[in-house]
Amino acid sequence: MVMKQIALYGKGGIGKSTTSANLSAALSLQGLDIMQIGCDPKRDSTRMLMHGSFIPTVMDLVRVRGEAALSLSDIVYKGFNGVRCVEAGGPEPGVGCAGRGIIATFQLLEKFGALRGDVIVYDVLGDVVCGGFAMPMREGYAQDIYLVTSGELMSLYAANNICKAIKRLSSRTKSTCRLAGVICNAKNQPSEEELVSEFARRVNSSLIQFIPRDRVVQLAELNRKTVLEYDPDSVQAAHYRSLADRIMKNTRFTIPTPLEIDDLESLAIEYI
Amino acid sequence: MTSNPSPLNISRFAGCTLTGALSVTTQVRDAVTIIHGPKGCTHHNFSLLHATALDNDSVILPDLVSTGLTESDIIYGGEGVLERTLDAAAARPVSAIFVLSTCIVDVIGDDVAAVCRKDRNVPVIPVPTAGFLGGTFQNGVNNALNAVAQTAKPGVKGWCVNIIGEKNLEHEVNENFAEVTRLLTALGIPVNLRFLHQCSMNDICRLGAARLNILRDDEVRSVGEQLKKRFGTPYISSYPAGLEGTISFLESVAKKFGVRSSRAVRDEEALQDDLLAGFNDIRGSSITFDPAHNTSESFRIASKVAERIDITIKTHSGCRVPPELSPPVGTAGVRRMLHRWRRAIHA
Repeated sequence: MVMKQIALYGKGGIGKSTTSANLSAALSLQGLDIMQIGCDPKRDSTRMLMHGSFIPTVMDLVRVRGEAALSLSDIVYKGFNGVRCVEAGGPEPGVGCAGRGIIATFQLLEKFGALRGDVIVYDVLGDVVCGGFAMPMREGYAQDIYLVTSGELMSLYAANNICKAIKRLSSRTKSTCRLAGVICNAKNQPSEEELVSEFARRVNSSLIQFIPRDRVVQLAELNRKTVLEYDPDSVQAAHYRSLADRIMKNTRFTIPTPLEIDDLESLAIEYI
Repeated sequence: MTSNPSPLNISRFAGCTLTGALSVTTQVRDAVTIIHGPKGCTHHNFSLLHATALDNDSVILPDLVSTGLTESDIIYGGEGVLERTLDAAAARPVSAIFVLSTCIVDVIGDDVAAVCRKDRNVPVIPVPTAGFLGGTFQNGVNNALNAVAQTAKPGVKGWCVNIIGEKNLEHEVNENFAEVTRLLTALGIPVNLRFLHQCSMNDICRLGAARLNILRDDEVRSVGEQLKKRFGTPYISSYPAGLEGTISFLESVAKKFGVRSSRAVRDEEALQDDLLAGFNDIRGSSITFDPAHNTSESFRIASKVAERIDITIKTHSGCRVPPELSPPVGTAGVRRMLHRWRRAIHA
């Protein structure tokens, strides 16, 4: 099987890390070899896969020990069901350049030949604020980009912005990066599924999975586990398994058509 | 741009703010300059300053220290390494520490001024630079001069002038200064301070003691304005340019000091007539400048000189003479220009 590389992008706080961790867990339960890479200085992407512990980040290790002293086993940690976890890390808030940190991490992962397995899941910080955070979408990395959004306007706005980045990158020669679908991590608003589904259609994509809001996610998190581990028989776990299935079977990869802000607003008004 | 990439045609004033500021701060003999950035920025500038000094027949090893930013500093922020470098520099026997910054430092948002504010036993003078992000070479020069000026206090004014913003990297920096000094001597006015050329931090305290500031050229006008505001010193906005410019320079300096210029002017005019007479051998020749310079002030001045000795300036067919990158300073500057023309015509 050809290695699949997918990246999740979306507004800060929308649930990318929760979705990524549960997706990685669900994929690993299909018997696949999974690697999840947290691309955010907050470094908490893989925490639920690691039973609540913060793993050392690539950037911290490079800083403390130096690149020459590092090997693959120093930066990759085995989590739930053998999911291999990596955190890029980065500077403290307000200093330095986190984007450059992502670029440096990718160079190091390349050098170590770490990017292997059946599926690599890139969990990327809030918005594509600079070239560094577009790194996972560049040639040789994630081909399938999933947008995580709720039905709230600001969340759709961020998703729409990310569409602009995907559009720019995907129109480059030899680029393999495509919009693969929209994941609705719901806030339980009325008509939310319809709204996000229509948004996905308008940006030339489709809603790949609707994940309703469920208390079990918070309970699992408080127990430092993914939902798949904490309560595998729950309805929510089934949603994540369904997401994993659909992602593996997905064949619709598009160049997105971002909306103008006015169109986005009138779309949101239609579904109030 | 010039069509002929000979060393003569390459401007020494086209670098970034860093090079401009360094052309000032490295003139302070008892100060060290820290360049906050990758090693290469320091290396290239060190080489340039060293090579330029050699070309001007002096050996200067500028006291530069790089913070040597690495990739990790860029990702995590470089304020820590700047702080450590500053502490190390402050432990040396120096009178001041200048801190200049490079492009990458501004890209990642290091707060250089804040790190410099910490109390140390040596004055730490940050110069707004940030490589090319901070502007041009000239912005770097002006920012450095303005930053250094902050260290001087207003004082009693004496019978003397300051020279402001010499082009320390130009070939003829000392010849030009000597020419201005000669003209000032003819009026009986001494130079108080070359701000900034080969001096110490202590010398800079005298900055406010002059009655008049003479700017190297109009590009340092903002510095002249700042000094006027801070010390109440009026200024003349340029060195004397060309033959007529030299006469009017004598007149305006004399006016500012309330002395008579008639005798100095008469002597200078006689000197200029003798000078032109000495170039009778090239009378009636035709010369051609690099077209890129044909609109400049230096071209205008060269044309006036040419007119006075019946030399025709042609667009293409004349004898090709080296371009004047900046207007010839004083009567002596015109003499050197005529020598260059003569060498080209007789070649």
